[in-house]
Amino acid sequence: MPPNPQTTGSDPAVLTVVTRNFGTLEVRPDQIIWLNPGLLGFTRYHRYVLIEHSRESPFLWLQSLDKSDLAFVVLDPRKLLPDYQPGNLPQVMKELGVTHPEDLKVLVILTIPPDKPQEMTANLMGPVVINLRNRQGKQLVVEDPRYSHKHRVLPG
Amino acid sequence: MLILTRKAGEGLFIGDDIRLTVLEIRGKQIRLGIEAPANVVVLREEIYRRIQEENLQAAKARNEDVQEVAQLLKQE
Repeated sequence: MPPNPQTTGSDPAVLTVVTRNFGTLEVRPDQIIWLNPGLLGFTRYHRYVLIEHSRESPFLWLQSLDKSDLAFVVLDPRKLLPDYQPGNLPQVMKELGVTHPEDLKVLVILTIPPDKPQEMTANLMGPVVINLRNRQGKQLVVEDPRYSHKHRVLPG
Repeated sequence: MLILTRKAGEGLFIGDDIRLTVLEIRGKQIRLGIEAPANVVVLREEIYRRIQEENLQAAKARNEDVQEVAQLLKQE
């Protein structure tokens, strides 16, 4: 069993999570993102938090709060393709209950081969969409011939 | 594996809220209708496996590699 997040003594609502990459994190309930269903392959895990990689970096970490060593590198796909569309946008917004377009966060998951980071790819077929208003999200599957699950980010 | 025989127009339930219907049989192809709650993932097997495998690979990312790609991207 993975170690479960535990509540701290000072504020019972704050989760303390010991992570692989970020040491001990304290997460407030209003920072928790719920993915339902969870990511394919990890459907048991629903609670995540977004962490900035660094101020100058475009990357974010999507860190699981249910499994401390589970984290994904994510990126705003518009940094790769300015006109990227996560499938049928009105339908996506309806499913997530998004009423204002600015409340919809779209992220793509990056795969970075160990020791070959220049070969990193972005999964444009499986974007993660989040309603920032209620922090509910899910992974979509976009079947569009323009979007590969292994979109090369850097030139070879 | 549970194996059932169904004709076109017949269906089956998986639990209380997933309903599968055989809509049409045409040569080697079968058209299926699926009714399931919104939080149930329904995908063609090859698509499901592709996304799942990519997620499994993505979960191996290491902080030092992200550091490096951030540098590489800056040089672009």
